[in-house]
Amino acid sequence: MLALESLFPNDNFGLLGLIIALPLLGAIVNGIWGRRLGKQAVTTMALTVMGLAFATALVTVLHLREVAHAAGHGERVRLAWTAWEWFHTTGGRSGANIPVDLRFSVDQLSGIMMLVITGIGFLIHLYSTAYMAEDASYARFFAYLNLFVTAMLVLVLGDNLVVLFIGWEGVGLCSYLLIGFWFGKVENAAAGRKAFIANRIGDFGLIIGMFLIAQYTGALDWDGIARNAQQLLAPSAGARVHLWPVGGGVYQGIWSFLQPVHPLTISGATAVSLALFLGCTGKSAQLPLYVWLPDAMAGPTPVSALIHAATMVTAGVYLICRLNFVFILSPFTMTVIAVVGALTALFAATIALVQNDVKKVLAYSTVSQLGFMFLGVGVGAFAAGFFHVFTHAFFKACLFLGAGSVIHAMHANVHDDVASQDMRNMGGLRKFMPITFATFAVSTLAIIGTPFTSGFFSKDEILFKAFTSHAVHPFKEKFAQRGLGVWQQPTWLGPALYVVGVIAATMTAFYMCRALFLTFFGEFKGWTVGDAPAHASHGHDDAHHDEHAHAGPAPAPRESPWQMTLPLVVLAVGALFGGWLNAAPFHFEPLGEWLEPIFEHSVKAGVEAVGGEEHAHHLMWPLAAGGVAAFAIGSAIAYWMYIAQNGAPAKKLAESNKGLHQLLLDKWRVDEFYNATVIGVTEATAETCAAVDQGIVDGLFAKATSSSVAAAGFVLRALHTGIFHAYGAAMVLGLGGIGWFFIAPHADVSVNEKSGAWTVQAAPGMGYAYRWDADGDGKFDSERFSELRALTVTVEPGKSKQVRLEVKNAFGLTGSTTITVGTEAKKAATVVGLR
Amino acid sequence: MSAHSETSATERPGAFDIGIQDLAWTALAVLVIAGLGHYADSAWIPAGIAALFAFATVHAYDRTTRLSVGAIGGLSALFVVKMWPAVAAVTSAEPFVESSTVLSWLIGLPLGGAVFLLFMPRQAHGLLKNLTLAIMGLTFAASLVLLGAVMGSGYHFDQNVAWIPQFGIRYHVALDGISLWLVILTTFSVPLATFVSFGSVHTRIKDWVFALLLLEAGMIGAFVSLDLFLFYVFWELMLIPMYVMIGVWGGSDRIRAAVKFFLYTMFGSVLMLAAILYLAYAYGQVSGTPSFDYFELQRLVLPRSTQVWLFGAFALSFLIKVPMWPLHTWLPDAHTEAPTAGSMILAAVMLKLGTYGYMRFCLGLFPEASIEWGINLAAVAVCGGILYAALCAWQQTDLKRLVAYSSVAHLGYVMLGTFSMTAAGLEGAVLQMVNHGISTGALFLLVGVLYDRRHTRQLADFGGIASQMPVFTAMFIVATMASVGLPGTNGFIGEFMIITGTNASLRLGHFAGIQAVGAALGVVLGALYMLTAVQKVFFGPVTKKENEGLQDMNSRELIGIAPLVAFIFIIGLAPNLILQSVSGATTRIIRDVNERLDASPPPDYHRGEAKLLNRRPEAPPAPQTALAAVAAETK
Repeated sequence: MLALESLFPNDNFGLLGLIIALPLLGAIVNGIWGRRLGKQAVTTMALTVMGLAFATALVTVLHLREVAHAAGHGERVRLAWTAWEWFHTTGGRSGANIPVDLRFSVDQLSGIMMLVITGIGFLIHLYSTAYMAEDASYARFFAYLNLFVTAMLVLVLGDNLVVLFIGWEGVGLCSYLLIGFWFGKVENAAAGRKAFIANRIGDFGLIIGMFLIAQYTGALDWDGIARNAQQLLAPSAGARVHLWPVGGGVYQGIWSFLQPVHPLTISGATAVSLALFLGCTGKSAQLPLYVWLPDAMAGPTPVSALIHAATMVTAGVYLICRLNFVFILSPFTMTVIAVVGALTALFAATIALVQNDVKKVLAYSTVSQLGFMFLGVGVGAFAAGFFHVFTHAFFKACLFLGAGSVIHAMHANVHDDVASQDMRNMGGLRKFMPITFATFAVSTLAIIGTPFTSGFFSKDEILFKAFTSHAVHPFKEKFAQRGLGVWQQPTWLGPALYVVGVIAATMTAFYMCRALFLTFFGEFKGWTVGDAPAHASHGHDDAHHDEHAHAGPAPAPRESPWQMTLPLVVLAVGALFGGWLNAAPFHFEPLGEWLEPIFEHSVKAGVEAVGGEEHAHHLMWPLAAGGVAAFAIGSAIAYWMYIAQNGAPAKKLAESNKGLHQLLLDKWRVDEFYNATVIGVTEATAETCAAVDQGIVDGLFAKATSSSVAAAGFVLRALHTGIFHAYGAAMVLGLGGIGWFFIAPHADVSVNEKSGAWTVQAAPGMGYAYRWDADGDGKFDSERFSELRALTVTVEPGKSKQVRLEVKNAFGLTGSTTITVGTEAKKAATVVGLR
Repeated sequence: MSAHSETSATERPGAFDIGIQDLAWTALAVLVIAGLGHYADSAWIPAGIAALFAFATVHAYDRTTRLSVGAIGGLSALFVVKMWPAVAAVTSAEPFVESSTVLSWLIGLPLGGAVFLLFMPRQAHGLLKNLTLAIMGLTFAASLVLLGAVMGSGYHFDQNVAWIPQFGIRYHVALDGISLWLVILTTFSVPLATFVSFGSVHTRIKDWVFALLLLEAGMIGAFVSLDLFLFYVFWELMLIPMYVMIGVWGGSDRIRAAVKFFLYTMFGSVLMLAAILYLAYAYGQVSGTPSFDYFELQRLVLPRSTQVWLFGAFALSFLIKVPMWPLHTWLPDAHTEAPTAGSMILAAVMLKLGTYGYMRFCLGLFPEASIEWGINLAAVAVCGGILYAALCAWQQTDLKRLVAYSSVAHLGYVMLGTFSMTAAGLEGAVLQMVNHGISTGALFLLVGVLYDRRHTRQLADFGGIASQMPVFTAMFIVATMASVGLPGTNGFIGEFMIITGTNASLRLGHFAGIQAVGAALGVVLGALYMLTAVQKVFFGPVTKKENEGLQDMNSRELIGIAPLVAFIFIIGLAPNLILQSVSGATTRIIRDVNERLDASPPPDYHRGEAKLLNRRPEAPPAPQTALAAVAAETK
């Protein structure tokens, strides 16, 4: 370790670069040369880089632990490495320069994430080598998977929001590529696109969060944001975010009816945290953006395990934990997070109750469990929420991989993607696949919260905190002194969240046990399924298919090879014992202590326990009863329905409540609702825009102008008859007109004023002579016409005079005009003068 | 067992087939590179390794292609190493002698080359093509000299010669941090487009290369002219070759599109000419002698009433070129009908003349009017450009039209950044100009590849291309990701800087926040239309018989796309290579505008007679001509 320290000082810890570069190297090599290298080399490459990355990450975290010990208890320690200066941007109202470096750092929080990503990542890579062995695009799969790990590491190790955003969108890209991995089927590609766009909607929130943070704190790196986070609460009107009128303007004139009496404003902290939370709902599949995750199951199952269960979808929780000092400033947002989390947990659980596709059950279960995590962080129990991320990574990855193992075995029999995932075709697999069964069962026990498994500790901690704690404004007293009100969470909300959580947990216990019983217990029903109708829609696994299609009666399902069972066993062990890292009821919380420096400050300032810390503490065991009851009731009902009565009550219940059952089976028809509303409106707008563009914009600026020119040309063309007589007549008419102009006299004048003297100037003309009446007596000053073209009249201020002019031209014709000059009549004079 | 073996003949699955010999050769090559680099210049080491890497990357292609791609890789790496901020700071210690004739060479080479080619035999296609590429290559090499100068906030490579002294018209060319990158973008993308076009243009080669060279000269000239008359000459000069290119080598409806393009642009230009003449006249009224020189005209402060009209004439001309809503409808037609190379050049360079012109001339000559109108124009850029054009793009059924509309959306970002008048906004705008040139140029190239094979661009005619053309698909997805602004590609940096810059803008008043939100919403829409198109073209089963067995990218196309893809990542990961020389110029623009507005604050600005200020500190020294001396005496 000493050598490590001398090689890599804490602020230039180059090993982080290595951890990120290793999977990237694998992605590049496998992506470019993979097909040429062959499967064996691709396997070696992918596993080597992942193994080395995990080893390096482990060394890093061990080193971090030593640094933490040296720094003393409760200190946040960090190892950082700057690759290079990336770019810079402008922030703050003063327009300061904000440098954005390509900088990575690891602390207690990201250390755990890094271990989970590389560790579980390695296991899933190992698993995939067997699962994907028959696939034609083997190398491409591992290139994407390695690239995903790179992006995920960038996400958790990024030292500022923008570097995090590289990883954030990078994992989105890999998710897009891997969901649509078997792009030969339109549905798979469409699911990938749906995921990317739903995530982009979240990223829209993240971008807003970023520029608001830049504006308020003048920084984008974690330290800078933490240092200036209090700016987000600046109470002056100018410092708040004005929602209405937009940006703080004033509606005037005919728009004044839009002007409210009190402008609608929110604090910078609320705006930033809500925007960031929008990003989290996208990435972590919460209401209302969760819809992509169930569809994402179109990807290969190891992808579902790694990306859509263990790592990527927890990025939202990670972001909230990472920026806990921002979120804690807004009790309103914290409450929103908790409520959204609880509702998502319940909502997704209801859908999972009736699904028949084993991956769909697990997908909705993931959405539901993510809801629990958000419920945890939303009530200020960051450590509990994050702990659930940790335990969930084990048991959910194990469940997905177990499901994958089952599907892999089923596929050998059924040869159909849909039918091989349908639990109604399974049953009794316990006998054929003992290891898969054992690990799946252990993980199920963990997720439903069987006492003393990992899920029990993490979920009960969340439920306990949901009941007892809530976020409060950290500067409540200060604001009160200045007469400013702050938003407070209603007191009934805590118990309500607890109840919702317990109901969701009961449902979890039910549907997970249902999945376990349908898959592994009873009689195997797969003998008769598939074959004939399935051949057509058999996309990805052609080689495999050809091997078995004509093999006569299907063989019994077989246990998967060791590459698949070993990860299952490791993960199951984690799922079983991982909870003891943070066994709050037994006051044994090494993980909590490890994370304490990250959350301590926020929790002290902004989280309050109901009736005080002591009182809450006494509630710990009583409240745990709720969680245990949920486990017991849910699993007992499932046992009664599917084992004791062999599924009869479930069928009866479904038939007696046909409408509700169908609604749940159709996932509450949320996709249809979105299609009809948000997507429909957007599409209609787009159609309108395209039509307007072609019809009106192009019509007005191009077609109308060109046709008006064409019309003018058409009219003028009619005159160009080519008949000489017509031209001659036109010429004569024209000459006549010009001649008349010269023959008629024009008595035009212009008037100028200079210090009270008014000069009246007559226009010149051929052989013109003039006579004037300057005194306004009606008679001309001299009867004779003279060459006098200009006349100066003095008018007193405020008075006016009439001047008359008569003009005689060379033909003896006369014309006359009368002008009024003077201050009063200045305007009139000019007008009359110009006649 | 291996269903994929038929798609790639070179594949031998199941074993390592990089033998010990290959490893030895590679090691030897690395050693040679390192040795040579050590003695020549250590920057060549990464360049050599990158070249080796690029050479190995395209294994399925023939040796010439691999060598070419290797060279591109090596040169890109060399660019990165040489331009790396820390390295650049060290090497800049050596005095760099700025030659005042470089810019004239850059204009003169393609111009003279075009004339020279007129004397070549029409039938000698090979000779014409090679000569053209040689001339363009030479121009590109000459343009790299420009990178040697430390840009700062001033102007460089200044050349100022009297041309028509009676009217104060001079041949004045110079370069600052903004035009530097646009010139390089021109000299970089025109040869690429030309090279690629030789694969699909087979008629009237002599006319074709003549038009291309003339176009290049015109565009470079327009970017470096600092005499308004000269600028106008180049501005019109580049119009004609493009008109001819669309009209002769274009698609089925090419004549209409060419005329539409010409009339739209011409309409704005004529108004601009009138405004230029008035400016020179007004300058003559105040100072005694007329002048068309940018730095002299910059001294002129006109009353608000006059300025608004002149600004309007200039802005109209530039905004048509950009193009900005509602003057954009010529662009989809022109792009759809233009040949691939024409679309590439149009998107990569010509549209930038509009944004560049606004930044240089509208902000430089009429700062008061620009700021006054900027707020409203920014709203147009967001609603009409970023959002409306993106929605239109989503509804297109023609792939090229879709990319054309995406151009309108992307340039909406550039204009928004310009209107924001913040450091990040303007720098982001300049960067986004370069980015758009690269990523949209790449997209047009790739659409051309598809068109050459299928002679259709309708989305409905494709499907499942990914299984037929894997290399092409990979390239298209990279270009798509750059276009939607995925972090790590070039598109993100520009968009992010513009969005944060807009939010921080004081000039946009209380609309800054909502406009930034609108611009951020464009990010979602960008993904929507690009990914929809990608899905329709590349994914799903192959439903049309014609799409089966399409040939993957050929050597020419691969060499054409390689540098664009390289720079998508280079700029995405190290944007400072470009930003370091841009920030001086953008800071200068902001300061100039701010000083003018401090002196004559809104809403009245300057009233009364026109007046002259001092020359800006960054302006190159004014040449003392005989005529000017006489004028000074008589005054």
